[in-house]
Amino acid sequence: MRALLNLIQIEFLKLRRKKFVAGMLFAALIMPVIAVFYFGMLDTKELDPIKFYKWATLSYTPWILLPVVLGVLSTLLMYDEHQNDMLKQLWVVPIGKLAYFFSKFFVMLMYSNVFMMISAIGSILAGLLSGLIPLTAPSLLFLFGKCLEISLLAPAAMLPVLALAAAQRNYLLPVGFTIIYTFFGFILLMTNMYLHPLSAMTAILVRNDPVVILNEPINTGKAFLVLGIWSLISTIGAGFALRRSL
Amino acid sequence: MDNLAIECRQLTKRYDEQSVVNQVNLNVKREHIYGLLGRNGAGKTTIMKMILGLTAPTSGEVLIFGMPLQRNEKRLYPRIGALIEKPGFYPNLTGTENLEIFAKLRGTTQSDAVRKALDVVGLPYQDRKIFGQYSMGMKQRLGIANAILHDPELLILDEPTNGLDPIGIAEMRAFIHNMSAQFGKTILISSHILSEITLLADDIGILHNGILLEENTIAELEKKNRKYIQLEVSDAAKAVLTLEQDFSIKDYSVQDLHLLHVYDTSLDMGKINQALIQQGITIISAQRCNDTLEDYFRKVTGGEGIA
Repeated sequence: MRALLNLIQIEFLKLRRKKFVAGMLFAALIMPVIAVFYFGMLDTKELDPIKFYKWATLSYTPWILLPVVLGVLSTLLMYDEHQNDMLKQLWVVPIGKLAYFFSKFFVMLMYSNVFMMISAIGSILAGLLSGLIPLTAPSLLFLFGKCLEISLLAPAAMLPVLALAAAQRNYLLPVGFTIIYTFFGFILLMTNMYLHPLSAMTAILVRNDPVVILNEPINTGKAFLVLGIWSLISTIGAGFALRRSL
Repeated sequence: MDNLAIECRQLTKRYDEQSVVNQVNLNVKREHIYGLLGRNGAGKTTIMKMILGLTAPTSGEVLIFGMPLQRNEKRLYPRIGALIEKPGFYPNLTGTENLEIFAKLRGTTQSDAVRKALDVVGLPYQDRKIFGQYSMGMKQRLGIANAILHDPELLILDEPTNGLDPIGIAEMRAFIHNMSAQFGKTILISSHILSEITLLADDIGILHNGILLEENTIAELEKKNRKYIQLEVSDAAKAVLTLEQDFSIKDYSVQDLHLLHVYDTSLDMGKINQALIQQGITIISAQRCNDTLEDYFRKVTGGEGIA
């Protein structure tokens, strides 16, 4: 466990001077800004803060923006070591292949957390400063609770991309796959939400939302099972790919 | 064998049907510098990768300090420093930052380990230049610094002078010598440059097309670098008889029916010629020769030689 914590800490040291990684966090503010214009144009009076937060932070952000950002991040995390032929130096330290993979996953987990917190704070500030919503404790609790759920589930749903990045020396395929993977997750939500990890994640997120109407009733256990199976397959695949990485 | 740092037994690596390394028995003695000499593509890097467990052998085994690497990784890797192929580091970090990462990964307890390692290879500590802006020589030095960072007993260096300028090569040579002579490190070094290996190594392994053709000490090999008189005559057997009787020569070798080498070069060529002619032996040619190590390598590698 201590070794893994050391690896996670080192993963953050490796990101020094990577402005793009920090820059991607600005994507968390896209939807809050759009929400201000959208609801501002509707000229709605006394807007329900939860409705605003759902639009500004809990819709396209976890469905599209965060998965794409995490996909690009996972590619960046793997790319340098592959591209600069560093893995052999790491293996002779020695570093366990799975510990290496999980350290990257934990970076994604923390990044996802920061991303969702920025999105949440951005939504609150955007709503308050534009005068669209009042500040209420239940809505804040709802917003931060959902953001926490998203930040934990999204990295797990993006593990297949991380596994693919672990198996690739270049970045084109993992980045391309990220886009296709994200849109498929969004599209499959309407047909079968228990095939794709991102659809399964959305099913878990909207489990107690009466406004969202889906084709079939939500089975949270099944959704977690789908996420678990994909995570397991991704981990095994990554372990295998890293063993053959030289 | 207790005095061996590395022992490879019948080490073989095949990719599909192509044999890259073929039944290699390689023995690196403790505190010695072992030079693995071979042309590009001879299998040097593959052998080093197999020693380090970076690629699995098709058959055979490797013992490091008398232990197989498998299941002993945590005990053995901290005792090994390696530079395989080109040195790879994070391009967005400085040399110091890169080494700090590796020191942290290895759990290096010495607080000034990074500074010391950089000092040894002549790179500045806490320089602001990032690795991506390093020259090839600086990259190579940083690779060496990383290999020695944790003060390992065994250094495995794959063509460490690659990309270095002549002064850098001389400095690297002095550094490797020093690591062995002063600190008692065992060093396995590979190169395709004969002069580099002969200047550095105590022991040498000649690798050609994946086969270890010869493993010997440099001193032994230099004995083969002998001066001799080469006689091409009509009848080598009759010539030998004459030389034995008239000059009491014992140190010679008959190469074929017409060619013989006499290793006593103090003999008077004129007198030899006269004696042979008197016996009715026709002398086709007679010359003093000097086999260099390069000639020897050319011979053992089947004429292809080594750069």
